[in-house]
Amino acid sequence: MQKLLFTLTALLLYTGLKAQVWVSKSVTSSFYSSTPVEDIDAQSKSGASAIDTKTNNMIFKISNTSFQFKKKLMQEHFNENYMESDRYPTSDFKGKIIEQIDFSKSGSYPITVKGNLQIHGVSKEYTTKGLLTIANGEAKASSTFNVKLADHNIKIPTIVFKQIAETILVKITAIYQPKK
Amino acid sequence: MKYHLRSLLYLLTFFFPAVVFAQDSLENALDMPVEKKNVKATFKAPKLINIQTNETIYKNEMDFRVDHRFGDIAGNAGGIKNFFGLDQSTDIRIGFDYGISDRFSAGIARAKGAGIVTQLYEGNLKYRLLEQTTDEKMPLAVTLFGSTTIAAVKTSTDPTAANAYSEFQDRLVYVVQAVLARKFNTNFSMLLMPSYIHRNFTAFGDENDLFAVSVGGRIKMTKRMAFVADYTVPFRNATKKAALENTSGNQLYNTLGAGLEFDTGGHIFHLNFTNATAIQESQFITDTNTSWLKGQYRWGFSIARRFSFDKKKENQTK
Repeated sequence: MQKLLFTLTALLLYTGLKAQVWVSKSVTSSFYSSTPVEDIDAQSKSGASAIDTKTNNMIFKISNTSFQFKKKLMQEHFNENYMESDRYPTSDFKGKIIEQIDFSKSGSYPITVKGNLQIHGVSKEYTTKGLLTIANGEAKASSTFNVKLADHNIKIPTIVFKQIAETILVKITAIYQPKK
Repeated sequence: MKYHLRSLLYLLTFFFPAVVFAQDSLENALDMPVEKKNVKATFKAPKLINIQTNETIYKNEMDFRVDHRFGDIAGNAGGIKNFFGLDQSTDIRIGFDYGISDRFSAGIARAKGAGIVTQLYEGNLKYRLLEQTTDEKMPLAVTLFGSTTIAAVKTSTDPTAANAYSEFQDRLVYVVQAVLARKFNTNFSMLLMPSYIHRNFTAFGDENDLFAVSVGGRIKMTKRMAFVADYTVPFRNATKKAALENTSGNQLYNTLGAGLEFDTGGHIFHLNFTNATAIQESQFITDTNTSWLKGQYRWGFSIARRFSFDKKKENQTK
């Protein structure tokens, strides 16, 4: 009897521990560059993210070639000339949610995320605000922040300087579920 | 004691995976699938110097392209007296291509035409049959190109001339090509292209059907500049070739082009040297009478600008 109880509790504990990681497999991210000459925007729907609800650690990974542009030639230039996706296939973020969040309680929590964002092979520390909403066993996180191209060594040739903004607005939305 | 041991064992077996999991970091939880993708930008433009590449333009894009070939830089016809060829133009071509889909494009062009067969109107189709994939399951890209050219030049009275047309069909030239291309790495791409050319009418003693093979390559030197080169060999019947060269007094040569390609984002600009006087496939493969070794090579340039008419895919982010 004692043995059975122990097995059960251990099993419960085990599954409980496993579920401490929440995963999102379809992170939607978009960026927006606006200049008087041209507005450019692109969207990716196939990013991945995970949160460790115990440690509050957070990771994002987005394949650069998954960004879809309205103009296909722009998409080719984005991968070939700016992101160099052959050499740096993904952009990623590794960081932490500063606030303590109880993932078992529904509600909306403003969060602060701090960590390193790697784009074009160059990492830079970012601290950004976001919103985390927990409801029905799902968590939705969203954030909007600015990325300066120069911070990630992405150079804009002078000839297209007027078409591409120096600072790009990035939006990220992810819906997490406990990993089974 | 027995219980203690067993408990410890339970503890280990149940906690161990959890501990490992936490340490293995969150990265494993993502397990991003390895996507199978098509290799992009094997070449930067639908044309290299003289020859086609495997590239086509995207759907609803229009490519406007101007090609220009100047006169001989050196040799008998070149030098300072014609300002190293800049006083002359052997051929000029203005073309529009339109992307019907991402794999299929259609084009029309007008070219001056080199030699005596001039006033050329060309219609062409280009289709990407196969694309090279990143997982190497498909190591090559295959693109088919076909064109029909009509020469509007006035009929010659010399019955042996290439433009001694007696009926409309005589003015037509057909070209069929298959481009086999491979991007070996970010900086290096090569292509091999067999061609078949059928001319309904030729100069006396010339061959109506001609096969040729071309090789071309691109070496990226900086992010925006690349070295490009191509070489084309037509396969001619040796005795017919000798007879033709005898009667016309002109030698026939293979074509070699070499140049620099500049990508300015939207514009592709080529600055090149080639011994071919003509621009279109219907002429430069069959009728190149000028040789690098005799100084009969020329400046050429091409400017291509792509316009996009695709407005449909609106972003859905809120």
